[in-house]
Amino acid sequence: MAAWSPGQYFLLSENIRDKLVGMSKEFTVSTLALRNVSRKPLRTAILMVAIGLLVFMLIFALSFVRRVNSGIDLTSRRLGADLLILPQGTRGLAEEVLLESNAKSFYMDKALIERVRAIEGVAELSPQTYLVSIQGVCCDVPEALIVAFDQESDFIVKPWLAKAINRPLEPDEAIVGYESFLNIDIGLMEIDTNLLGNRFHIVGTLEKTGTGLDHAIFIRAEDKDKILARGDLPITADQISAIFAKVDKGYDPSEVAKVIESTIMEVDAVARKDIAKGLIRALGDISRIFSLAVALASLLALFLAWAVFSAVVNERAREVGIMRAIGARESLVMRIFLQEVLLIGLLGSLAGMIGGTIFSFLLADMFNIMQEAAVDLGGLERLVIAVLGLLTGTGICVAGALAPVNRVKKLEPLAVIKGE
Amino acid sequence: MSMNAQLVIEGVGKVYRVDEQTLAAVREVSLTVKRGEMVAVIGHSGSGKTTLLSMIGGIARPDSGRVLFNGRDIHTMNSDQLADYRCDKVGFMFQFASLLPMLTARENLLLPAAFGRSRGKPDGRAEQKAAELLALVGLGDRLAAYPAQLSGGQQRRVAIARAFMNDPELILADEPTGDLDEETEQDILRIFREYNRQGTTFVVVTHNRQLAASQDNPRVVRMKQGLLQEEIGPA
Repeated sequence: MAAWSPGQYFLLSENIRDKLVGMSKEFTVSTLALRNVSRKPLRTAILMVAIGLLVFMLIFALSFVRRVNSGIDLTSRRLGADLLILPQGTRGLAEEVLLESNAKSFYMDKALIERVRAIEGVAELSPQTYLVSIQGVCCDVPEALIVAFDQESDFIVKPWLAKAINRPLEPDEAIVGYESFLNIDIGLMEIDTNLLGNRFHIVGTLEKTGTGLDHAIFIRAEDKDKILARGDLPITADQISAIFAKVDKGYDPSEVAKVIESTIMEVDAVARKDIAKGLIRALGDISRIFSLAVALASLLALFLAWAVFSAVVNERAREVGIMRAIGARESLVMRIFLQEVLLIGLLGSLAGMIGGTIFSFLLADMFNIMQEAAVDLGGLERLVIAVLGLLTGTGICVAGALAPVNRVKKLEPLAVIKGE
Repeated sequence: MSMNAQLVIEGVGKVYRVDEQTLAAVREVSLTVKRGEMVAVIGHSGSGKTTLLSMIGGIARPDSGRVLFNGRDIHTMNSDQLADYRCDKVGFMFQFASLLPMLTARENLLLPAAFGRSRGKPDGRAEQKAAELLALVGLGDRLAAYPAQLSGGQQRRVAIARAFMNDPELILADEPTGDLDEETEQDILRIFREYNRQGTTFVVVTHNRQLAASQDNPRVVRMKQGLLQEEIGPA
């Protein structure tokens, strides 16, 4: 070793200087945290995977429940009616039409309109008739729901029609829903097509309503009568499928619905907020199952983070003692561990977030309830769910590690160094 | 307290409790160390030397008595103040390997500077100083070596170099040359002497009387069963 006196540092040898240049990256306490992450790669990976799976499950569950909920909510809001009056026992079929875009037909006597109108609190009524086109019949369109509506009393289709063509439908004209198979290309618009053996001129496409009616083809009630005159369908001109109703101001739609059902035995009356009540109840059960699974997974991840970091701090207790002995404050020790746990939590959560979001798209095809949901989630809503998942996963990882880290940082350095 | 007294230990005691038994490791020890003094604490294993050094260094709390550094009782400081005292004022050399395994020799030296920097204290020329100190202990070519790549003696030298990183006023060395060969031991003692001449105070725990004798004007105190006895004259 060379002679030396304090205050006069060695002139660095070329060798040392070269090495210093090569290591010019500034050393900070974060360097230590980063190195620590890679110390036990398998254990770190297991914790990351656990956090990732939790976030994955959380994001998928939230996406699932939100998507189905939004679909139901949007549909009921956009129907534009306070009440839906249906033939007795056909509520499920109507919900299939309105929520799931399924082509279904069900009928009741047209005379019921006047009986409903007589009920106190009923303000406006508009009937619709649902016909199902028959697949395989020569020159006809594939199976589809054809909605015949009364233009005079209608308040359901009218707002959408005004946006699309800004005029009522003329005889033998039809307009199609946004998701209709006829709206495959703008080139197919303004064409003539066969509906149940009758020639119709398609005049346009309605904007997306977010309801099951997006898949339907709309025609005038008068044209329906012409179709029925051919006698191919098991329905007469005196029959309709559903009556949409608005109630007078100050009346509770649910109460009016009860009165209608108790007065007219042949119908079911459903208030807007009760549409898809069965589905909402089922969804509630699914949500509870998801919540329970997510809560258990969270507890498991929390326990795993606690166990991993209990082991980590036990292994590194002596190092913590040395760091404290050479001048690290408690808060700095905490920061070093927090950086490590944050990195693990963030990486795991990020993987789970990406996986969960992608899977919520892919798995949608495996769940009928999601396929049939009228709307998909918006980009912002997906982003909020993803960020929520990221924060939850990272938060749980940090929460699990806090107690063991807090314990070791407070120990007397000498006691930790000596392993007491 | 003398004007020159940098370190004053007043009736310090420490008791360890193991199960139902108690062991008085240090009993009513008092000692005054002047600025720039070199004090060798000698004694057999288990005599309380390390415990006394730890209480001076603020890494163990006494059960009784006071440790005053520059007139301030360090054990009345809060946790942050005590950490800052250990970081800025004291250089601690442990009896055992005390390097962090995930850091290179250079990074282990930079650690105390990084601790200071984390609370806004400028670290001066930390990078350059780390390289110089490693060169000083004969490891100038092992800057990038991890502790596992160094021998026990080399690790000990890195730890010795680390103790000087923040220009401490007081060096507390616990058997600093235990793992070193005779030649390296002499080199380390020479470094101690140089720093001591420049005003750094040393309290060195050793059971090696030769080490105590090797310093210029060593003051030797003996620990025996937790009690401190001043030895008269140089060792």
